[in-house]
This record gives sequence, structure tokens and C-alpha cells, in this order.
Amino acid sequence: MKPLLLWSDMLIYLLVLALCLFFLRLRSDPQIRDHWRQVFSTRLGMVTFTVILVYVGIALLDSLHFRKALDPVAGSPRGEIFYDNTVTSVLDVMLGGMGERFERTYSAPFALKSFEKQDMKDDNGAAFRDFPLLEHAGRHLAQPEDRGSDILTKSARALLWGLLAAAVVVGLQWYLLRSSSLPWYASWMTQAVVICLGVWLVSISRYYHVLGTDLGGADVAFQSIKGVRTGVLLGTLATLIMLPIAVTLGVMAGYFKGWVDDVVQYLYTTLSSIPGILLIAASVLLFQVYIDLHPDFFAVGLQKADARFIALCFILGVTSWSSLCRLIRAETLKISQLGYVQAAHAFGVSHTRILLRHILPNLVHIILITLVLDFSGLVLAEAVLSYIGVGIDPTMGSWGNMINGARSELSREPVVWWTLSGAFFFMFVLVLAANLFSDLVRDAFDPRTGIRRSAT
Amino acid sequence: MLAYIIRRLFYAIPILIGVNLLTFTLFFVVNSPEDMAVSQLGQKYVTPAAIQAWKQKNGYDLPLFFNAAAAGSGVVTDTIFFSKSLRLFAFDFGRSESGRDITSDVSTRMWPSLAVALPTFLIGIWVNICVALLVVMFHATRLDRWTVLVFVALMSISYLFYIIGGQFLVAKTWKLVPISGFHIEGQVWKFLILPVLVGVVAGIGSGARWYRTLFLEEANQDYVRTARAKGASELRVLFRHILPNALIPILTGVVVIIPSLFMGGLLIESFLGIPGLGSYMLDAINAQDFAIVRSMVFIGSILYIVGLILTDISYTWADPRLRLD
Amino acid sequence: MKEQSAVVMHVQDLRVEVVETGAVILKGVSFELQAGQIFALVGESGSGKSVTSLAAMRLLPNALAITGGSVQVAGQDLFELSEANMQTVRGQRVAMIFQNAMSALNPVQTAGEQVAETLRLHTTLGGEALRQRVLQLFAEVGIPDPAQRYTFYPHQLSGGQQQRVMIAMALACEPDILIADEPTTALDVTIQEQVLALIRGLTRSRQLAVLLITHDMGVVKNTADEVAVMYRGEIIERAQVAEFFRNPREAYSRRLIAALPDLTHFHSGCDGEALLQLEDVKVHFPLRKGVLQRVVGYTRAVDGVSLSIGRGETYALVGESGSGKSTLGRAILNLDRVSAGRITFQGASLHGLRRRAMLPYRKKIQVVFQDPYSSMNPRMTVGAIISEGMDSLGMGLSAAQRAQRTEELLQRVQLGSEFSARHSHELSGGQLQRIAIARALAVEPELIICDEPTSALDVSIRAEVLELLQELQREFGVSYLFITHDLSIVPSLAHRVGVMQAGRLVEEGSAEQILTRPQHPYTQALLKSVPRVDSV
Repeated sequence: MKPLLLWSDMLIYLLVLALCLFFLRLRSDPQIRDHWRQVFSTRLGMVTFTVILVYVGIALLDSLHFRKALDPVAGSPRGEIFYDNTVTSVLDVMLGGMGERFERTYSAPFALKSFEKQDMKDDNGAAFRDFPLLEHAGRHLAQPEDRGSDILTKSARALLWGLLAAAVVVGLQWYLLRSSSLPWYASWMTQAVVICLGVWLVSISRYYHVLGTDLGGADVAFQSIKGVRTGVLLGTLATLIMLPIAVTLGVMAGYFKGWVDDVVQYLYTTLSSIPGILLIAASVLLFQVYIDLHPDFFAVGLQKADARFIALCFILGVTSWSSLCRLIRAETLKISQLGYVQAAHAFGVSHTRILLRHILPNLVHIILITLVLDFSGLVLAEAVLSYIGVGIDPTMGSWGNMINGARSELSREPVVWWTLSGAFFFMFVLVLAANLFSDLVRDAFDPRTGIRRSAT
Repeated sequence: MLAYIIRRLFYAIPILIGVNLLTFTLFFVVNSPEDMAVSQLGQKYVTPAAIQAWKQKNGYDLPLFFNAAAAGSGVVTDTIFFSKSLRLFAFDFGRSESGRDITSDVSTRMWPSLAVALPTFLIGIWVNICVALLVVMFHATRLDRWTVLVFVALMSISYLFYIIGGQFLVAKTWKLVPISGFHIEGQVWKFLILPVLVGVVAGIGSGARWYRTLFLEEANQDYVRTARAKGASELRVLFRHILPNALIPILTGVVVIIPSLFMGGLLIESFLGIPGLGSYMLDAINAQDFAIVRSMVFIGSILYIVGLILTDISYTWADPRLRLD
Repeated sequence: MKEQSAVVMHVQDLRVEVVETGAVILKGVSFELQAGQIFALVGESGSGKSVTSLAAMRLLPNALAITGGSVQVAGQDLFELSEANMQTVRGQRVAMIFQNAMSALNPVQTAGEQVAETLRLHTTLGGEALRQRVLQLFAEVGIPDPAQRYTFYPHQLSGGQQQRVMIAMALACEPDILIADEPTTALDVTIQEQVLALIRGLTRSRQLAVLLITHDMGVVKNTADEVAVMYRGEIIERAQVAEFFRNPREAYSRRLIAALPDLTHFHSGCDGEALLQLEDVKVHFPLRKGVLQRVVGYTRAVDGVSLSIGRGETYALVGESGSGKSTLGRAILNLDRVSAGRITFQGASLHGLRRRAMLPYRKKIQVVFQDPYSSMNPRMTVGAIISEGMDSLGMGLSAAQRAQRTEELLQRVQLGSEFSARHSHELSGGQLQRIAIARALAVEPELIICDEPTSALDVSIRAEVLELLQELQREFGVSYLFITHDLSIVPSLAHRVGVMQAGRLVEEGSAEQILTRPQHPYTQALLKSVPRVDSV
């Protein structure tokens, strides 16, 4: 086994680390602590945050990559180990080889037979055409009619295990947090549901394809879960690339005014006047040309896909800073006129110090709101970009690619609905949770809503 | 007022120049014409001669900015920058990589796009305002809270699913309209219903929710209390006082919708087989036709800037504080 | 007199609570309004006076709920009416005018249309008759050129005219009762006086019953017939106005009255050496217009001011909003650019100094701003706020010494040292202003520019802060340039007074001279609107 660190793996761990540090720092400010308390004192806040954490957790597990050692082949020099060219992640292992059970083509959820007829030969060698049995579904059944009861008993057993695991996890937290006044129980319920679902999915998918298989015969449930990393990473990475640009330029424009302001304003009006989708498409196309012309840079196929992915994050980040920059500039202009900045001037405080101590800390709420708010938009954008053909590399699992591959399948008879449903469900839950959470964050942190609350 | 509009128009010039320079840099400096030729001709077995021929055919064999070999004004005009980039200002888009005349393509394809985008835009705003007003009437009730939740849920669905779902339900299951296509002759509206419907429905979540906050923000203003103190009924307060004032931020926000219209057009046109600019662009991306992409970037920004100026004008029209300054 | 006038509104045992927390806002308020009389409800912010008026009109925000009591108008309990019936009461029987007319008028409706709306709601008037009635009302409330003003939008009117439009709107349907919620607070003193005179006149001519809500004892004294003092949701004292000022019963009432200026005692002159001198100082801001944004003229915010402030002296710079007094303060601090003239401090020229060259003087000239909330960084602790100046101006103190000095200063401004770990949003306006003073004192300045330091504070706290400032002056010999619009705080505070109007210093002299024998007509007008204790 040989660990393999992709650029995006590195970034995602750095990112989580940075975010943790950022939040720890924020804890020292009582006002911000109050705001967070307000977010988490609602059940909705607890539930949505737990859901987001689950997604982030999946993404992190999916970011520990390694290449399996191949069994020594006869004739190879001793002591030299060859590694598999496909890259595996810890998550793949935890899912129990769900991604390795391929069929030939489409099959419906819990189906025993393939979706399409195929030429086969019977025992006597006579050719006939029928739906072939699936290779990895229901092979253990004695009779096909037993399927219903088999699913039920297996589900019941899985649920029992799931509940047991949930009880341990929740019990531990209950012991640690029993004196807290926050509605932890909402989070615990969510955790219990997630754990039960997870245990059920992993155990049952050893016998059936829970969400069916796609055109290439891959397990849809597995594909959907693999899409989590792409979605989460894209949503955070692009925002984090955009943040420093937007904040630096916005603060400079708002604080120094004059020609600095003119230049920054010109930059963002120009950039925002190009329809984002076109700019992104053009940039990705150009980058694709670069990758195609320099194939020797990337040892493994996944590295190529990874490079394209990071480039996409960069392009999304670089093309989307204008709206945040505008906000930051306006807010900085406002803060610069406030008494405490004027007082700082009267005390001869240096510009750097005013920017760092007086202006930046008071922009935190805008940065935070944007961070959370943009996340869901980017996850949605990924799907669209992949559809257009300028998104994630098709070899890398993503919801956009799933939708792209399955978009015309609704016109089949009978309808192939499960690939779309898988992508839809996983994407919808993440985006919904993020949207609801960002609403709560905005309500708590936006001074305007705060004023409204105290005024009425 | 007139001076203001003229000034806005003047501001557009440096921005268009900026857009032009940016696209030029992206397409000709970051990636050289050689790179483009290689990717167009296929990567493996290209000869330098083939590249040269391709460049010559498409006019990429000129120097970028300065042609020392040319005579007279040709020093400047016989360059890629002049022939490919500056010509855009005269709406001369040249030929696509496959040899078609982009200008004529654009002028035939803009009508279907317009036929989809304009009704989507107008009906969309109207529907969102109506829905938002309805919700505001029930403000602070359980209905209000649940509708907001529904709005957020609607926002969380990818636009792709709206198109797929719409096509599946309206066209396939209920068979109300043709599944896809577009014919100029005869009943154009038949083909417009589905894209407009999808566009409007997909926008309700974010649109109505946003307008709701705008209305509520206005409802907190002092003049609303004054109107109530006059004895005006709640409905009158809503329609005669809150609505006209909220129209001002709604109008400014329209600019924000323009880019999403563009993207919506891109997706819906290609899905439903409408021969507009969106599907044109998408085909160009898939065929890696840089000439078309470049022209579309320019057209897109012109549309955006025009939208911006129109918004500014309607803004001054809606707000007497600006109109009379 | 009292028996002759009829009671037209009877508020009894009015109770209001916050819906969510159950906190009590009004604890049973009762009073009556009589025709032709002005009843003043006076109190500081948060005392519940505005809530009382809104509750009576059933216009409370959703977060507050009426939990008891009744409001009788002509034998009818307003709380028992249906909402539809209540709408016929509002505007027709009981009308209301609000503070800050600019925001209380609909910005996208013309002034005439807004008044016409009231008439349309409650009468059958229409067309030309409606217009004529509105013009007539405009004339009655003293709006010049009514026909033209009819088509004006609120932002085109001056503050006084906006408030007159509000009054016209309220009076359009000839209501019996007028509730005026701080009608003059946002207005300059001279205009304030005109608007109050208008309300007084209309009360008599129309036999209105007026509920006047205000925090300003001067307004009460000059306008009302009867007064009730509200404190924490209760009426603690109620009396006829003359009787109230002669003989207030409650200690709290006495505090409120004591805040009124005493025009019999003045500071004696002060003859320290000249510390700060201004010579013909001008601050002009360019006005840009047209397509090319050419400079077409200048806003002359400060237009040739000369004055000097001596050591240990308090110089009060008085003027209405927009007179340029705050700009002058900012110019001295080198926060706004001086266009012409000389500013010298202890003989050294200040204007046009670069940031670094200005640093030594930053230590000597300090500032206290008007809004205590915005002048403290909400993300910093009080300790950090106070020591920032010591730190950046290089006082050569170690961190421990700075902390020590911060503690001393907090104690000096009568706050405990435990405040140094707090954040600004946990503190009240009065406490914050003390911290602002401590922050200024931290660098041992010789001159403090106080830019309306008390105008955001309630009267009772205002007195304490002013007292503190004077103590500190005696103790440290610091000079003040005291910028204010409120002449009433001047006598107890200032040695000398300068009156500013439209960027110019129109009159200057000792406090006594200005307040008792004003020469300039503008000073006289300003002074006329100041209520005095000595005239009782």
C-alpha cells in the first residue's frame, strides 16, 4: 500500500485546519460567540449543521488516497512491489467494496436482472434473448421470490446494528454534553438517522444494488456518495480562493479611496460584465488545451482529473470575487466614517493597524455570511458546468457528471429514473442543509436583522 | 438626468475595452495560436506545415500586436489584435473555426433566444412579486414560515432538474406541448410554453424569497406606520405604499438576474433544441471553437452593460429622489 | 378652566408586554386628554412614552402586545373595535404625527398626494375639491406656495416643511385628538420653535386635544398645559405645567428640571495663554456636476473662521446642523483638509502636516465624538480601546504600565477597573461616553475637541457627563473646544461662546455676554428657543 497525496487532498485538509483555527479565534469574541449560540440554539441549526458535518466527514474520508500493492507476479524481481494504477480512498474501503461490483449496464434498484435483454445461450447451446441475471445482486438467493422477505430480514438486522452503533455514539455525547442548554437532541436524532442509514446501506449493498446501476454498470449509490467530495470541496475551495482577493481589494478600495478605489471598481465592473458562465467555460477550455498538450505532467489518470478540478476551483474563485468585493468595499467605506476609525486616526494609529484591528474584524460577519451562502451556489454550479462539458473531469465522480450521463434516460421505456434520483437526493440534501444553515447564520450575524429584532 | 445617462454610456467604453483586452489575453496570450491549432487538428500526428496551414486559413498567422513586415497602417491593422479583437467593436465577428460567418449566425439565432428570454424575464418578475406579496400578507403566521421553507427547498434544486422534470411531466407524461424543437413558421408559442414555464418556476424559490425580504424591509419603515396612522387598510398599505417603494430595490436587483438568464438560456436551449444563442454557445464549447466563444463573450458583456444602463434608467424613473436631482 | 373643557380621550390602566419574554413595558398608564389642551408625556428613552402612544392607536409592532386597560374615545373603547372600525378612527378621530418627518413620509409619493390620501380614506371628496382642500390645509400650516409644494416629493422639502406636511396630513379630517410623538426632535432649534408654535395655535383654534410626547423639558415648558413624567413604564408625577416647574415632587422630576439651563450663573472669564489659534480657516468641498464631473463650485462648510482657545479654557462652538462646526473640529484634527487659512497650536502650524509630522500633536489634541456607540470598535475590549492611543503614540510605557494607567483612568471617570475586559455593546451610552473621555485623557492631551458629546444621551446622564468634564478640567487644566447645537448646556460649561452660521462665526464673546445680551439676530433667534428657569 502506498499513500498518494493529491493536490486537492492536501488543500482540503489545509482548508479544514484553517477553518478550525478561524472559528477558534472567533470564539474569543463574546459577541460572535453569542451569534453562534443563537444559530445553534435552534433545532434547525443543529440538524442542518450535523448534516453538513456528515458530508464534510465523507469528503475527508474520501480524500485519504492510496494505491494498492499488486500481488507479486511470477518473474518479477524480488522485493520490488508494483502498485495498482487505480487509486483507492479510505471511504472506498469503508463502503466495503461497493464500487467494485460492476454490472454490464443499467439495472433497477434491488433488481435481480439486468435492464436490457442480451443474447445468451442456454445449457443446450441454443441461443435466446432475455434479461440476464446480475452478477452482484441476489446471487445468494435460492428462489427469486424470496427477495422481498430477504430484503426485509437483512434490513431489520442492519437497522438493529445501526441503532446499536447510534446508541453508543449518542450516549457518549450525551455523557459529555448533558449540562449544555443547546438542543443537542436534534443533532443526535440526525446522527442516529445517518448512522442507521449508513450501516443499512453498506450491509445491504453487499447483496443488492440499492439505487441500481448506471449505463456503465456502476453502482449508483456508490457514485452518489463519491460525488460528495467533489461537491463539498468545490463549494469551499472556490470560496476560499475568492476570499483573499475580494477582501484585500475591497478593503483597499473602501479605505484608501481615490485612484485605488477607481482601479478596483473598474476591475470588478469589467469582470462582472462578462457573463460568468462564459468566462468560466472559456477559461476551462483553455486549461483543457494545456492539459492535453502536457500529458507527461501527470502520472496517474486521477491526477490529471485532479489538476483540472483544482483549475476549475481557481477559475470559479477568480471569476466570482466581484460581488463580495463590492459588498466589502461598501462596508469599509461605511466603517471608515465611523467614530472609532476617526478616533484611531486622531490617535495617529497607522494605516495597517487600522485595517487589521478596526476594519477587518468588523467585516467578519460579511465574510462569514458569504462563505456559507456561496457554498450551496457553487455546488449547484458544479452540476451545470459538468453538464455544459466544462466541469469536473468525467473520470472523477460528481453529481453533475451523473446527471449529464443520465439526462436523456427519462425518455426510455420503462423510465430509467434511479441515476437522476441518486444524484438529486444527495445534492438536494446538501444544498438544502447549506441554504437553511446560511439563513440562520445570516439572521444571527447580519446587523440589519439584529437591529430589526431588537427594535420590535 | 440626461447628463447622468450620457455619463453612464461613457463609462461603458473603458469597460468594453477591458473586456476586449481580457478575452484577447485569455485566447491569444495564455494560449498561443499554435496550441489552438494542435487541439483543433488532433494532438498526435500534427506536422508543423499543417499547423501553419490552419493558422493561415483562420488568420492566426499574424503577429499579436505589431506587424513590422507590413507597410503603412498595416503595421497596426495586420495583427491578430486588430483583426480578431478590435473588429468586435464594429460587431464584425469574423468566421468561426469551421468557416461559418459568425455575424450572420448570431443575427439569425438571436430571435429564438429573445423569444424565450424576454417572456421568462418579465413573467418571472411578475410571478415572483405576486407570490411574495401573497406571502407578506400572511407575515408572521405559520403559513409564512412554511412558505419560506418551501422557497428554500425550491432554491436547493438544481436548474437541470427543473428542465428534466418539466420536460418529463409537461411534455412526456401529460403530452401538453412538444418535447423539444422550434419552428419559426406556425405556432411558435407552442414551443415557447415549456422553456418559459421552466424558467419561471425555477426562479420562484430565490426570487420570491428575496422579494419577500425586500417587502418586509420596507414594511419596517416609518412611512408605513404613518400610513397606518392615517387609517389606511393593510391591503392599501401593501399596494399603495410598500409596493412602489420596494420596486426600487427590485429594479436594481434586476441586473443580478441578467447573468442567470444567460445561463438559463444556455441550458434550456440545448435541452429543448431551441436554435438560439445559448445552444450556439454550447455547441461551440463542445467543438472547442474559440472564435465563437470569443465573440459570445463580447456579446454577453455588451448585453450585460446595456442591461445595467437600462436598469439605471428605470431606477431613476422609479425613485423621485434620483429623478429630480 | 379645567372643568370647562371636555375629556375627549381617556386612557386607563394601559398595560403592554413583550410577547416573547413577557417583560412588562407599560405597568398601567392612565391619563385623560382634554379639548384645547396640550398634555405632555415626558420621559427619557426607554421610559415607554412612545409605546403608550402607539398602543393607544393600536399600532404596536408585532413583538409587543396590549395586555390590559382601555382607551375610551367618545365613550367607545378603542380596544374593543374591530380592525376595520379602528381604521376609521385612525386619521379621522385620532391623528398622529411622528418624529423625523423625512422618514415618516412616503418617499415616492408627492406631498399633496399624501395629504389627499387621508381625505380620500375618510371623506367623499374628490377631484378639484380634494385638491383645493389640500391646498387650504397647506396654507393653514404655513407652507409657502402650496400649489407648487403639492407636487413636491418629501426630499425636496426642508425639514420644517416636511413636519408641516405631516401636521397637515394629521389635521386633514379634523380629528378631535392629535398625538404628536417627538414632533420636533429632528429639527433645528429655530424651526422647532416655529413648529411648536403652530401646534399651539392649532390646539386653540381647532380645540384639539393634544398628546405631546417629548424628552425635552424645554418643549414641555414652552408648549404644554399639563405634564406627566414617565419613568420605566409608569407615570410617576402629573401636574399642571406651571406648578410642575415651580414645585416638582419627585426627585427624578427635579433631576430633569435641573438639566435646564440656569442663566444666572456663568463661568468667570479665563485668561490662560493662547493654545490653539485659527486664522481665517476655510474648508471647501468641491461640487461636481455634468457629464465630465467638472468642479462647478464649492460647498463652503467652513468659510473663514478665526478664533483662539486659551489654556484651561472651554470654548463652546454653537450652531445648527450644517453650520460647519463639526467640520471645523475635524479640520483642527487634520481629518479634513483645510483649503485656506492657518491653524497654529502653541505657535506651531498644524494644517497640511503629513501623517507622521502630525503625530506629536495628536498626543496634545484629542477628541470625543457624538455617537458613543459608533465611536468604540465593537470587536475590542474597553481596555484595548483605552490603551490604543498610548500604544500608537509611543508614550514609552510598558504593557504593564499601560494596563495600570488604563485602570486608573477607568476609576477616574467613575467606572470600575472591571470594565476593562468588557466590550462596548454591553455598556450604556453614558458609560461609553465616559470611556471615550478616558481614552482621550490617556495620552495626556492639552486640548480635547468635544463634538456634541452629550447630544445622544438622556438628560439625567448628560448632566453627569458634563460635570465629569468640568472636574477633569479643574484637575488637569485641559482646554475644551465644545461643539454643540444645544445652547442650554453652555452656561454651566463654557467660558467663551462662538456662534456659527453657514460656515461663518457670526458672534463671539463671553458666555454671559452671548446668553444675556446677544447682538446678532441669529443668536437672538437661537436663544429665544431655549427655555429658562429664571423666567418661571
